[in-house]
Amino acid sequence: MKASPTFVLLALAFCGNAIAEPAALLKLPNFDSLADKATESVNITLDASLLGLAAGFLDASDPDDAAVKDVIGGLKGIYVRSFTFDEPFAYPKADVDAVREQLSGPGWQRLVEVRSRKDQADVDIYMSVIDGKANGLAIIASEPHEFTIVNIVGSVDLAKLHKLEGQFGIPKLELERKDAAGD
Amino acid sequence: MSDDLETKLRRALRPVDTDVDLAQRVLDALNDEDASAAHRSVRSRAPRWHIPVALAASIAALAIVGVQWRHHQYEEEGLRAREELLEALRVTSSKLDLAYRIVNSDAQPDSDNGGA
Repeated sequence: MKASPTFVLLALAFCGNAIAEPAALLKLPNFDSLADKATESVNITLDASLLGLAAGFLDASDPDDAAVKDVIGGLKGIYVRSFTFDEPFAYPKADVDAVREQLSGPGWQRLVEVRSRKDQADVDIYMSVIDGKANGLAIIASEPHEFTIVNIVGSVDLAKLHKLEGQFGIPKLELERKDAAGD
Repeated sequence: MSDDLETKLRRALRPVDTDVDLAQRVLDALNDEDASAAHRSVRSRAPRWHIPVALAASIAALAIVGVQWRHHQYEEEGLRAREELLEALRVTSSKLDLAYRIVNSDAQPDSDNGGA
């Protein structure tokens, strides 16, 4: 039986999507050793179905909830691992390198790399771009008392995320004020 | 000796008059027996429709409890997912803020020098 060209094209398109979508999804290590020593651990895994469930519990008539709904509209998953320590702690380099290795793969671009000797903090922000469209975000932030990895899968709009500042305990980024002062 | 026994027996077995309401008590006892017999008869017939109805009621009650339990669980999961979503956005935003602050604090001395 011969497959029609249309069918082959459709199948390829489908496979293409299936392969392209998880590209922004990182394999995050367990970080068990960190969790044992941390005074506070945040381990959040929200896949598409849980995001949908959470969205169902956001009140569209409430402007704050509506803004969150707007941010997560194009997302397919949010994964956060964050550990806080009482004392400065050496993070397992192998685990972090395993994540960095995934971020050096095709599709990922490093947007920001900041190293602060004063704050002893490193933050790397990566964006996954496929066909000119951002479909994922990754943040690796290490501070003396805190280590965080964030992986967002889906079309991320930082401007929309910025709109959430000051709500639900989300810090104010003050980008607009600084820009305005710069002007 | 035997005369004495015979006398005692005669005395014991002598005919006596019945109570005035004996007949009534006998009739009452008969009526009671009829009533309990009728009750037994009703109970013996009851399972024919009582058991299926009881079963159906139990199933309906279980179904209602099940639906309510699932709704309660759905609500709990939804609220937990909402809290986790807000926490994830808070952490993400705080790390973006950290990067911005570092970039800004590094840029600050340069701009000061430039201005001087």
